[in-house]
Amino acid sequence: MAKKIQVTVNGKAYSHDVDPRTLLVQYLRDVLGLTGTHVGCDTSNCGACTILVDGQAVKSCTLLAVQADGSEVKTIEGMADNGTLHPLQEGFREEHGLQCGFCTPGMIMASADLLERNPNPTEHEIREALEGNFCRCTGYHNIVKSVQYAAKKISKQEKVA
Amino acid sequence: MTNYIGKAVKRVEDKRFITGKGRYTDDIVLPGMTHAYIVRSPYAHARILSVDTSAAEAMEGVVKVFTGKDIAESGINGIPTGWQVNFKNGDTMKEPPHPLLVSDKARYMGDAVAVVIAESREIARDAGDRVEVEYEELPAVADAKKATEAGAPLVHDDAPNNLCFDWELGNPKAEVNEAMSKAHHITTLEFVNQRVIPNAIEPRSAIGHFEESSDKYTLYTTSQNPHLTRLLMCAFVLGIPEHKVRVVAPDVGGGFGSKIFHYAEEALVIWCSQRLKRPVKWTADRSEAFMTDAHGRDHVSKAEMGFDQNGKIVGLRVKTYANLGAYLSTFAPCVPTWLHGTLLQGLYTTPKINVDVTGVFTHTVMVDAYRGAGRPEATYLLERLMDTAALEMKMDPVELRRKNFIPAFDGVTQPGYQTQVALQYDSGNYHGVLDRALEMVGYEKFRKEQEQARKDGKLLGIGFSTYIEACGIAPSAVVGALGARAGLYEVGQVRVQPTGKVSVYTGSHSHGQGHETTFAQVVADRLGIPMDDVEIIHGDSESVAFGMGTYGSRSLAVGGSAIVKSLDKIIEKGAKIAAHKLEASEEDLEFAEGKWTVKGTDKSVGFGDVALTAYVPHNYPAGLEPGLDFSSFYDPANFTYPFGAHVAIVEVDQETGKVRLKRFIAVDDVGNVINPMIVDGQIHGGLAQGIGQALLEGAVYDENGQLINGSYMDYTMPRADDLPSFEIDRQVTPCPHNPLGVKGAGEAGTIGSTPAVVNAVMDALSPFGIKNLEMPLTPERVWRAMNS
Amino acid sequence: MQLTGTHKFNASATKIWSKLMDTDTLARITPGVSKLEEIGQDQYKAIAEVKMGPVSGSFSGNLNVLDKQEPRSFVLNIKQSSKIGNVAADVKIELQSISEHETDLSFDGKANMSGLLARTGQRVMSGVANTLSKQFFKALEEELASQEG
Repeated sequence: MAKKIQVTVNGKAYSHDVDPRTLLVQYLRDVLGLTGTHVGCDTSNCGACTILVDGQAVKSCTLLAVQADGSEVKTIEGMADNGTLHPLQEGFREEHGLQCGFCTPGMIMASADLLERNPNPTEHEIREALEGNFCRCTGYHNIVKSVQYAAKKISKQEKVA
Repeated sequence: MTNYIGKAVKRVEDKRFITGKGRYTDDIVLPGMTHAYIVRSPYAHARILSVDTSAAEAMEGVVKVFTGKDIAESGINGIPTGWQVNFKNGDTMKEPPHPLLVSDKARYMGDAVAVVIAESREIARDAGDRVEVEYEELPAVADAKKATEAGAPLVHDDAPNNLCFDWELGNPKAEVNEAMSKAHHITTLEFVNQRVIPNAIEPRSAIGHFEESSDKYTLYTTSQNPHLTRLLMCAFVLGIPEHKVRVVAPDVGGGFGSKIFHYAEEALVIWCSQRLKRPVKWTADRSEAFMTDAHGRDHVSKAEMGFDQNGKIVGLRVKTYANLGAYLSTFAPCVPTWLHGTLLQGLYTTPKINVDVTGVFTHTVMVDAYRGAGRPEATYLLERLMDTAALEMKMDPVELRRKNFIPAFDGVTQPGYQTQVALQYDSGNYHGVLDRALEMVGYEKFRKEQEQARKDGKLLGIGFSTYIEACGIAPSAVVGALGARAGLYEVGQVRVQPTGKVSVYTGSHSHGQGHETTFAQVVADRLGIPMDDVEIIHGDSESVAFGMGTYGSRSLAVGGSAIVKSLDKIIEKGAKIAAHKLEASEEDLEFAEGKWTVKGTDKSVGFGDVALTAYVPHNYPAGLEPGLDFSSFYDPANFTYPFGAHVAIVEVDQETGKVRLKRFIAVDDVGNVINPMIVDGQIHGGLAQGIGQALLEGAVYDENGQLINGSYMDYTMPRADDLPSFEIDRQVTPCPHNPLGVKGAGEAGTIGSTPAVVNAVMDALSPFGIKNLEMPLTPERVWRAMNS
Repeated sequence: MQLTGTHKFNASATKIWSKLMDTDTLARITPGVSKLEEIGQDQYKAIAEVKMGPVSGSFSGNLNVLDKQEPRSFVLNIKQSSKIGNVAADVKIELQSISEHETDLSFDGKANMSGLLARTGQRVMSGVANTLSKQFFKALEEELASQEG
């Protein structure tokens, strides 16, 4: 029954035989040991498992591993570049955008997708873009500021470049 | 000079969380690990006629299936409760057994009937579906008040009328009735403080690991309270030796109260592991979390507040029915009594108060502490009464509060304030926080805008809540007299390593609060060393001597104070070593900036030097023990009493009934602040949960005891676009009785915010003559009220 | 959950009655039912596959026909269980003759659900029930028409 898939995760190519019913999030966590992607619900409502598949934010519990065959996947573990934090990671730390840390990877990945589409979002746009991700700790106040921090930093970096 | 205290130091723990390197219980994989799936009753109340495990056990990959019968036959006990509240007549409360797996009857939807252990999560789940349980469905009752009525189905045969206890506090009823009979005006409200579901984003998980070679057990669990879990599990449930058991609460993804308690699944994975000689992991899915995590609130109350002709409160009478669920969770009896009744003084000089609470069993999951625990329910009563009374007496709600506030007192030169309901407030300045909040709101201006908006057909409303809470839980002797079965001190050990680096072990537990940062700030400042030289260790019973965990906004006030006690001992002993090294007398030394200096000279010796000498005691004071390592228990002298003023401004859409929270202003006084960034974060999160209860959240059980909104599709929690950015500020009135002067910030936001929001909506709806609506104030509920 | 509805059929009450009391016909026209077996007087065993919004499952259990007042009314007592939860319902079905060839069929009852079905399915259940009853009526209409043809 197992089906062979080939995926690139955080720049590294993998090939595995997986049970067709394996969710992408289970594949990442159980097979690749990338436990930074979390499971917070069973109805695709919480967003804790958000990752990027071919550059787009996807709740990895809504996708079967076999559907990701041939895709390029990025998880929270792949966000830092050679030890340099991604501006979003830095933003969440600087602005205290996390407390327990459980929703954080999903928040960061969903925010990455937002900033890719809209590099200079308003508070309202940030709140709308993140409404698929639950946080029970921060009241979202500092998450909004974290994303704004990152947006500013990225735009500065691009000006320099 | 302080280098760290009072500064917004960025969190130490963040590095692992933002890089995906946090280590939560479900991330842990042990060699040979098996997976557990728990078969749960779909009925709220049912007799279990038979359980057939043969089909499940025949499946490939299934290791074993255990049923309630196996548990019953093994002779182990059920899950205990940690607090005893007696009936008014002195009879002990009813405390029915809560077995790990039930064999006779299921008493709530989700009660555990059998556990399947298999080689994978998927096989366990598939096999769980093949466990055939034959039930005889019985009538159920989910509502606390209905459960006490004659003829209601009984949850436990030996708890007549489903009563667990009845309880009373304050002035005698006759005195209160007398005071109320002379009142010029009485405001009466009936409330349902609805049941809410804590919903930490990390579902509960537990791994039991028994190692036959050493007879040792390790439990990894999503707990706010690993040591208490170990104590309860070893001594009361499984009867296994505590010194052979290690409980680890690694990174925990939020708790909000729901992970304080010792849950059956924790003991169950240990019990199964011991039998199977293999590690056993259980992780709840969200659906299971909804059904089985202890819920919060669920009070039905009638409250009456009497006023004289000048608006001074003359008396308060409260009757509450508290839903406890089907079994008693760890702190369940304490929440609606000692954490609720005692807070009914609020910030006011109310001279006569009586509160009467009936604790009731129902066919629902356990109810226990949820962020604020009892105190939000008390605050909700008081603050809804105040705004409603102001409306009824045609007074300004701000003025009414000012008339009744307890005057400011610092608890040092002025004594604490003795309430009518058992507490003595430590220090307070209640006018101060309200004045600041009004300033931030622009109150006069807002009222003018509101008037204009009403003319324009817009429904703007403002609501107030001035709250107090008792936290820093708790003085052991006091709570012992009130029924606590454990002490509520905290343990803090400071181990100075030979190189002067410092390991600090705390029995407090962080699941988002940032202990690794805040505690390190305190330690680094007191010792005058860099924060990088300090490591905070928590959540492991093997490394931390003992602890009572994190809840009731107690971490810094109690846990931090225990560490300070140990730091004092370190500095005291260090001085002896330094004196010897400097050939000076101890009295001539002063300790500052990480070194001991002979007063009036430049002769000094540094902390690192002293540390090394303590471990390499070649040239050392005679009779002094080597080493620099102290452990302390800190038992607080009193609760701490943070307070604040919260103001909500809402606009109600007349077409749809939707409430939009336009502004939320919070001015809190949590005593001294070590890390303002972290305290602000705690307030923000608390506000979101309190606002969630006011507008969005509520568990709904149908008349058969079925939880009908048990998923994130059905249960509404605040999302980013439901909330505004908050406007917050602080006042500082130090706590006079702990060394850091801190009061606690974890629950403040939740306690204060709920009534402010509801008051604001009622204010907005006042043109419709609407005075009271039940939470959550959903568009449907508000629309119906406007259109009836 | 309340279950109510009416439908007008172009057939006599007696004819509809006989269809409703015929096991083979019922098995054929009831949506989702894969097996209907008579196990006693007015007692049936049923197996059904039903998808209800976010949850789907295979149900099995009993159907009992009670209080038969031929050809005017009967009560259908349903007890079905599945891995996603259980359903218990009592539904009164009434046939009211409007003319020789026209009959109003109405049903009124209440269904209690438990388990996952109650927890996550309740929201969409009345919609599911409406759809299923419409399918049933349509199938019954076709059945009645085909017999005439």
